[in-house]
Amino acid sequence: MGGTKNEEKLIAALLVAAMSVSVLAGCGNNKKESTKTDADSKTNTSSEAGNDKEDTKDKEDDSTGDEVTLKLFSNLPDRKNGQGLVEQMIIDEYMDANPNVKIEVEALDEEAYKTKFKAYAMDGMPDVVSIWGQPSFLDEVLDAGVLAELNESDYADYKFISGSLEGFKKDGKLYGLPRNTDIMLIYYNQKMFEDNSWEVPATYEDLMTLCGTIKDAGITPIAMDGGDGWPMACFLTDLLVKVAGTEHSNIISNAISTGDFSAPELKSATQLLVDSAAAGMFQTGYDSQDYGTTQNLFTNGQAAMYVMGSWDASMALNEDIAEDIRTNIRAFTMPVVKDGKGGANDIAAWNGGGYAVSANSAVKDEAIKFLNYMYQPDKLSKYGWENGVGMSAQDQSEYMTGNETELQKQIIEILNNATSVSGTPINDCGPSAFKTAIESEIQGVSNGSTSVDDFLTTIGAACK
Amino acid sequence: MKKLYSNKWVIFTLVLPGVLVFLFAILAPICLSVYYGFTDYTGMSEENFIGLDNYVQLFHDSAFGRSLLNSLLLAIGFICIQHPLAIIVAAVLDKLQGKAEGIFRCIYFIPNVISVAVIAYLWKFIYNPDFGLLNNVLKIFGFEGQVNWLSQQNAIWSVLIVLIWHGFGWGMLIYYTGIKNIDPVLYEAASIDGAGWWTTFYRITLPLMKPVIQINVTMAIISALKQMETVYLLTNGGPANSTQFAANYLYQQAFKAFKYGYGNAIGVIFIIICVAVTVLLNTVFRDKQEA
Repeated sequence: MGGTKNEEKLIAALLVAAMSVSVLAGCGNNKKESTKTDADSKTNTSSEAGNDKEDTKDKEDDSTGDEVTLKLFSNLPDRKNGQGLVEQMIIDEYMDANPNVKIEVEALDEEAYKTKFKAYAMDGMPDVVSIWGQPSFLDEVLDAGVLAELNESDYADYKFISGSLEGFKKDGKLYGLPRNTDIMLIYYNQKMFEDNSWEVPATYEDLMTLCGTIKDAGITPIAMDGGDGWPMACFLTDLLVKVAGTEHSNIISNAISTGDFSAPELKSATQLLVDSAAAGMFQTGYDSQDYGTTQNLFTNGQAAMYVMGSWDASMALNEDIAEDIRTNIRAFTMPVVKDGKGGANDIAAWNGGGYAVSANSAVKDEAIKFLNYMYQPDKLSKYGWENGVGMSAQDQSEYMTGNETELQKQIIEILNNATSVSGTPINDCGPSAFKTAIESEIQGVSNGSTSVDDFLTTIGAACK
Repeated sequence: MKKLYSNKWVIFTLVLPGVLVFLFAILAPICLSVYYGFTDYTGMSEENFIGLDNYVQLFHDSAFGRSLLNSLLLAIGFICIQHPLAIIVAAVLDKLQGKAEGIFRCIYFIPNVISVAVIAYLWKFIYNPDFGLLNNVLKIFGFEGQVNWLSQQNAIWSVLIVLIWHGFGWGMLIYYTGIKNIDPVLYEAASIDGAGWWTTFYRITLPLMKPVIQINVTMAIISALKQMETVYLLTNGGPANSTQFAANYLYQQAFKAFKYGYGNAIGVIFIIICVAVTVLLNTVFRDKQEA
């Protein structure tokens, strides 16, 4: 019996020991892992060493400073088309020119990107990140102090368009650089217009009439991405520019600071949006359809027009789109509204997306060097232009080849003729709670389930 | 061996991992949520203590109210539509026997095997007013015009159909397993006594399935409350919060609106509701068992 009792004690002790060992082993691994991570961050290599010996060897190699790994966190998951392709081209060139530098890209679409950006802000940011120079995104980010300050005088020769850096500043200090000049456009299918003898509208009333005619012909007048909320908010900004003219930015900033959106101009612009949707200007179910579905309606020839920013000008070069549609894509800006103060050349345009460097990057110097490389005028600007991804935030005039698409030429003309630009669209002017509220509530007001007054009250409450 | 299991060190060793997981992966986050629920934390900068402000705001928040109502509708849909159908299909499958039984069991379970992301996009296309399957089928039957299946008025019903359809396979499989565990002798005895299909189902199958029904109903209600991924991918709570569910709304407030404190307050209320519903269900079922 005594032997059995001893055996039980032995087994019990072994079980406890096994448990303790597994717990300690877990801790031990963590320690090793964290040491390795520390080494990585200090020496900037992506060590994949499988054992301690190799780890040590890597650390020795890294200590010479030869190998550098930059982590780039991007909101451009499509690396083969448009802006994502341009970004990847520059990354590849930089790695060719600097063989000791390895750039690891993590790319997510915009919504997933913003969510993970916040997680990174709490746990440690990648070295170079995509950002938006708009209060709804940047205010909280800058308050958290996660972005590195840039020296503005370094960019004196980078040919940034006047005022384009303003959205990326706080208290006079620069924290990021803009990538694009985004213009809100109404794309249209020129061939479809010509075949049906439709004219590009000069006034909003003409646009409403035209939409009625197109609808009667069994075609969707305008493809609108209402499921995401923000394109409709940009459309509303465009309407507000035409209603209030250059006063619109004061009206928006006053409304956001006081939470009072009862200004008559805001009511008129919202009412125009509601009337347009009620008249069937957009496709059936526009308020639940996403970006891709909406764009497909236009690029498949099922819609005559499509509301989106100038970044979608790359449609004209996208060979996945049928040639007779691709080569016939043209654009116009929001037509003037009756009794509105905004002229035909007062346009909705802003410098939104861009890049910044993490304040806590262990390779900040290399990250800034890479950032500066991207923004050399013959990189982002030139490649962006050649790939038809819209207007850069830098002067692109010297990169005109004469082979630009008709769409590109139109966009240049629109920007060159602009008498005023709107700046940040309304949904990005306030805190992110306001952005979330307006992008959700605008669906309800446009489809008529919420009144204009209730909509304006609700978005006002989100500012308080 | 029996004595070994009564050794307190062995018990401690075996229980410790579970206790640690509960403490650090469940209890600690809940405590943190309760704390952050009293703050205006944005997720990045310093938090300030604001007392019950988040909770006061929450009780006036129509979108949150709508999300709870939608969870209730989904729970009713599960209990009144999905589960009765699942029991009937399970009973019919049991009677089929042979190859057909296996084939149909697989067919009914297929939606559960497909990823939620694929399901959501599949239904997005089915519901599309311009080129969706549903409207095209309606056209074949001579219906003119376009039904907007995801409009503010219709969207919640369209979403409920997807959720009920998607969860049907699990419910059916659990009921089917329950039916298979019923002693066939009972059916034979009933048959000898001259009981028909309905009498057998009502007098033997259903009463013996009670424990399975209880588990399934509890799981269905909890699943209705924590619904997130399908709704997020199908409508993201829109248009205008008409298909909003609590978990999705929590995500939007915490991670999109940078209202981390408010998101945590939603989380706390959400936990209270889930615990209350579970306790209520247990009480209801226990009373019935005792009766």
